[in-house]
Amino acid sequence: MSKESAIKIQNLTKHFGKNESLVKVIENASFEIKKGELVALIAPSGAGKTTLLMMIGCVQEPTSGEIWLGEEKVYDNKWTAKDTRKIRREKIGFIFQSHYLIPFLNIMENITLLPQTNGVSEKAAKQKAMELLEYLEIADKAYSMSSQLSGGQNQRVAIARALANNPEIILADEPTAALDAQRSISVIKMLKKIAIEQNVAIITVTHDDRILPYFDRIMKIENRGIVFHKLDEEQNEII
Amino acid sequence: MINLAKRDIEHTLSKFIVTAMGVGMLLGIVLIMIGVYRGLIFEAEILLNDINADLWIVQENTMGPFAESSRVYEDFKNIIYVMNGIDKSEAITFQNIQLPHYEKPVRVVAVGYDVFGSINPINPERIIAGRDLKNDRYEIVVTDKTGFKVDEKIKLGRNLYTVVGVTHNTTSNSGDPLVYLSLKDAQELQFLYSNKEIQNNEARGVKNSESYMVNAIIATVKNGFDINEVAKDIKKWQHKSVYTAEQQKEILTKNVVEKSAKQIGLFTVILVVVSTIIIALIIYTMTLEKMKEISIMKLMGLPNSLIVSMIVKETLLLGIFAFIFGNIFSHLTYDKFPKRIVLEISDAWMLFGIIVIASILASFVGVKKVISADPAAAIGG
Repeated sequence: MSKESAIKIQNLTKHFGKNESLVKVIENASFEIKKGELVALIAPSGAGKTTLLMMIGCVQEPTSGEIWLGEEKVYDNKWTAKDTRKIRREKIGFIFQSHYLIPFLNIMENITLLPQTNGVSEKAAKQKAMELLEYLEIADKAYSMSSQLSGGQNQRVAIARALANNPEIILADEPTAALDAQRSISVIKMLKKIAIEQNVAIITVTHDDRILPYFDRIMKIENRGIVFHKLDEEQNEII
Repeated sequence: MINLAKRDIEHTLSKFIVTAMGVGMLLGIVLIMIGVYRGLIFEAEILLNDINADLWIVQENTMGPFAESSRVYEDFKNIIYVMNGIDKSEAITFQNIQLPHYEKPVRVVAVGYDVFGSINPINPERIIAGRDLKNDRYEIVVTDKTGFKVDEKIKLGRNLYTVVGVTHNTTSNSGDPLVYLSLKDAQELQFLYSNKEIQNNEARGVKNSESYMVNAIIATVKNGFDINEVAKDIKKWQHKSVYTAEQQKEILTKNVVEKSAKQIGLFTVILVVVSTIIIALIIYTMTLEKMKEISIMKLMGLPNSLIVSMIVKETLLLGIFAFIFGNIFSHLTYDKFPKRIVLEISDAWMLFGIIVIASILASFVGVKKVISADPAAAIGG
C-alpha cells in the first residue's frame, strides 16, 4: 500500500518584482512528498530554498500554482483559507537554524504554548509534551529555562515544540547549522526516527553534505525547478 | 493558557522593577505637583477658616490684604459694630516680618489683633505649647515651623518679645509661617517709624498718624441676618469694599493662587505627557528586543491577539507598578518639601486613571510593531 501524500505541489511559480526588475525564483515546480519521508532540500545560496519552504509553510504567497497539504488544497492560485496561520498552527511544525526557543518561557511552556493556543487543555498539552521530551531523552529538563541547556539539548526541545501540535509536516531550516558534526548527525537520525514513527513528512534545508546519507530523498532547486537526486553512497556525492 | 506578559516580566524582573521605579519617580513628582497645588489652596484657607469672620471690610476699591495693600482706620470697627445685623467687629493687621533666628532670619506673616477683643484669630486647637496672647504688649505666639520655643525672646523693632505659645499647621496664603501679635505691637511694627524719620517727617509737615491704621476690619453677622444684605449696606454707606468669607476665599484661590495653580497644572500635564512618551519608548524597546521571538510566534501560527495582549498587559503592568512606586516615592518625600504638600486619595485615583489610559496609548507603538512583524524573518537566520 502506497504511503499517503503529505505535500503535493503542482506548477508552483514564484516571481519577485515586475517588468525589468522581475526575478523568477521558482517556475512550474511540481513534486510530492509522502508522510514518513525525510527529504533534504539543497541548492546554492539565493536559489530559492527559503522561498520554497515559506510557500509550503503558508508564510509567503506563491505567484501561481497549487499546494496540497495532506488532503487539503491550501493554495489554488490564491490561498483557499482566510487564516493561513491556522493552517500553520494545525498542520505544520517549524525547526530553525538556531533553536529560537522563547527565552522567558521554560521548556514545558515553550512546547505547550502552541497546543494550548489550538484549544488543547493544559493537562493534555503537558502530558503530550512530557511524552515528547521522554522520546527525545530530555525529560529531566522539562522545567528548565533554555539558557540552562546546551545547544544540542535546545535543538531537541525545538524538535519537541515542532511536534507538539501533531503536525503532518515539519519544515526545518538548516536545523544543524549551529551544531558540530556529531550532534548534527544525532539530530538528523532523530528526525529520521520521528518521520517514520510519527508518520510525518520532513523537509530539511541543508548545506551540510555529511548528513545527506541519512535522508530518504534529496531535492535540489535547479534552473528554477525541482530535481530529485540520489546519493552515491560510496562517494557520498549527489548523482 | 500561559500568561506571556507575566512570564516575560518574571524573566527580566529586576530590569522591569528598575524601569518602573524610574517612571514611578516621574509619577511621584506629578503627585507632588498636584500636592503643591492642594497645599496652596489649603494654606490659603487656613487663616480665613481660623478667623472665621462673615465679612471682610477693606479699603475701597481694593481686594483686601491678601491680594493688595489695604488700609482702614482702626476705629472704623466701632462704626461697623453699630450697623444693623453686625454681631462682632474687630480690626486686624497682616504684615511680612523677619524673625531674627540664630541660624538665619525666618520670614513670617504677623497677624495683629486686639487681644481683649471679641474675635480671636488663633484657633485654640492649633496651640501645641503655651497659650495664646493674654497681654497687649510684647508677647508673641509663633508657629512651630519658625523653630522658636515657649519663653524664648525675640527682638522685633526696638522691643523684646516673649514667645508665649507655639501653634502647629498655621501658615499664610503665601506659605510663610504665621505669628500672632497684639494689635498695638503689630501697628507699631508696621507703622511706627524711627525717631529720626518722625523728626524728618514733621520737618516736612507730615503728621505721623498711621499707627492707628489697620489692614482690614473683620465682622460676624447676627443670626437671622443675610450676610450679603449686611455687606451691601456697609458698601453703600461706608464707602468700603466688603467681601464675604466665600468671596475672600475666591479672591485667594482665583486671584492670588490662580497663576501658581496654572503653572503647576501645566507642569503636571507636561510631566504626564513625558511619562507617557517614556513608557511608550520603553515598550517600543522591549518589543524590539523580542522581535525575533514575535516573528517565530507568528510563524508558528500564534494569533496576533495573543502577542498583542502580551504587549498591552506588560505596558499596563509597567504603568501600574510605576504608579505604585510613584505613590511610595511621593509619600516618602512630601514632608521634606519646604512648602505644604497635600496628597489626596482622589488625586491619586485620578492619576491612576490617566496612567491606565496613557499606558494603553503607549502600548500602541509596541502593538504596531507586533502587527508589522514579518513571520518570514524567523526563517533564514
